[in-house]
Amino acid sequence: MAQAMGFYTDTTVCIGCKACQVACHQWNGLPAELAEQPTATRPGKSLPITGNSYDNTGSFSDVNWRHVKFIEQSARPDRSDLRWLMMSDVCKHCVNAPCLEVCPTGAIIRTEFDSVYIQQSTCNGCRACVSACPFGVIHMGGTENTGQGTAKKCTLCYDRLQNGLQPACATVCPTASIQFGPIEDLKKRAQQRVADLKATGQTKAQLYGADERILGGLNSFYLLVDEPETYGLPRHPQLPSRSVRASSLFSIGSAILLGLAALLSCRRRGEETE
Amino acid sequence: MARITVAPAWEWWLVWYFFLGGLAAGLYCTAALIELMGTARDREMAKVADYLALPLALVCAVLLILDLGRPERFWHMLIQSETGRLMFKYWSPMSMGAWALFVFGGVAFLSFVGVLAEDGRLGLGRWRGVASTWRHGTLGVGFAVLRAGVGFFVAAYTGVLLVASNQPLWSDTRLLGALFLASAVATGTALMLLLRLRSAAPASLARLQWLNAWALVLELVLLVGFFLSLGALATPLLQSSYGRMLMGVTGLLGLVIPLVLRLVQGWSKWVTALACVLVLIGSFEMRYSILMAAQHLGLAGR
Repeated sequence: MAQAMGFYTDTTVCIGCKACQVACHQWNGLPAELAEQPTATRPGKSLPITGNSYDNTGSFSDVNWRHVKFIEQSARPDRSDLRWLMMSDVCKHCVNAPCLEVCPTGAIIRTEFDSVYIQQSTCNGCRACVSACPFGVIHMGGTENTGQGTAKKCTLCYDRLQNGLQPACATVCPTASIQFGPIEDLKKRAQQRVADLKATGQTKAQLYGADERILGGLNSFYLLVDEPETYGLPRHPQLPSRSVRASSLFSIGSAILLGLAALLSCRRRGEETE
Repeated sequence: MARITVAPAWEWWLVWYFFLGGLAAGLYCTAALIELMGTARDREMAKVADYLALPLALVCAVLLILDLGRPERFWHMLIQSETGRLMFKYWSPMSMGAWALFVFGGVAFLSFVGVLAEDGRLGLGRWRGVASTWRHGTLGVGFAVLRAGVGFFVAAYTGVLLVASNQPLWSDTRLLGALFLASAVATGTALMLLLRLRSAAPASLARLQWLNAWALVLELVLLVGFFLSLGALATPLLQSSYGRMLMGVTGLLGLVIPLVLRLVQGWSKWVTALACVLVLIGSFEMRYSILMAAQHLGLAGR
């Protein structure tokens, strides 16, 4: 395997410009999300605004593989102390990926860059990965050029990586909020940045997913200046397989009890009536 | 814990699959238990499963395939499309389930052909002797154990599949596999009783009624356990229509009333028939509520 590659997203320098969203759409041929598609005689209709700050997509979707979040924080009623937390969210390319774990067709693979990739020609749209992803990243859908009825998410621009380029979003990010590179280098850079922020009084500065505690590590990890929940990130995301053993044992226990019940039923009535 | 999960949109196709698949598996493992522990006269009851398991399994396969985003690629569950090798992931409940259904279909086919031969239908009567060897002696016991095993697996794996996710409610309990299994046996025995109420020997009916009652007791215990295992999430569930239906239709109508009816009225035929219908309705509702509540209650934010 080549070196593990990924994103380090420093949310403190994100300015919410959404260039990453646009670049992602452009490179991957993802259409704009419209309330009504244009026809030969009528123009299409754009979606209504979300009403959630400057958030224009609201969430990930089959055509939105990046989602810039805007979190408005204010303690005063007149909001004169308003601060924005902005974060460009994307697939975390988990080291222990829930989606990859449950995928029954082998469509989801780990690439030589340690990223998690959905092979569109193999996916049959069972949606087990949608159910398993603790970050709500994967959506079903697709357009003519990206394959219909299959699972969709960020590919870490696998095609670009194979050709020596870096992902489109990181390329266009004007503030270096999204940084791409070898994970080990990114971690060192991020840890230094946390130390610098703490030195300037940002006591809540922390890395999310840079160590193994979260799903073995996230190959797209974040520098946050508030708790993960504030950014809509789960504090303890877990693998689906955590519960398979216990669930199976309860099921086997049930089966044994039912077998015993059958034995009891047969014995008892057999004696009484035959 | 903040949740930002997306619902997999497992809706009506899967509600019906969960119910009919559970019914097929429940019928089938009940028949296997009868073969292993019952008398020769109980065979008439087991025949119901031999006739119904295959058609039900085929309906289930159609439902599952139609639910896929790309139905024509259903075979990717069993064979790697890129290499042609077998696709098998023992740690993925859906992969295991796909294989279990495949094996279930094969075994149910053998049972179906066997029961046609046994009853001399479709010109298969001359194979009656061969079919008989499958049900007697060591081979018969081995086949019955295989049937019980694959039946139990198909009945329970759907619950384990839901638990092995990150969805609210489903992943907060460990009891869905056991609950679905008990419900499958309850519905399997209920349908067998309904279809053989007039024709079966009283002793055979009584044995099955006892097994049905035990399965209902186990299901009731597991349903209560399911609510308790949800912790704080039990409150929003109970306040929703899904939770109320789970309590009223599944718990009360489908479990408590059938059990009470039997305690009060004994084993009379009309009581059994009514109880069996209620059990079937309750089981369908349980699968509906559990599938839909996790996806539509808004328990996951963004």
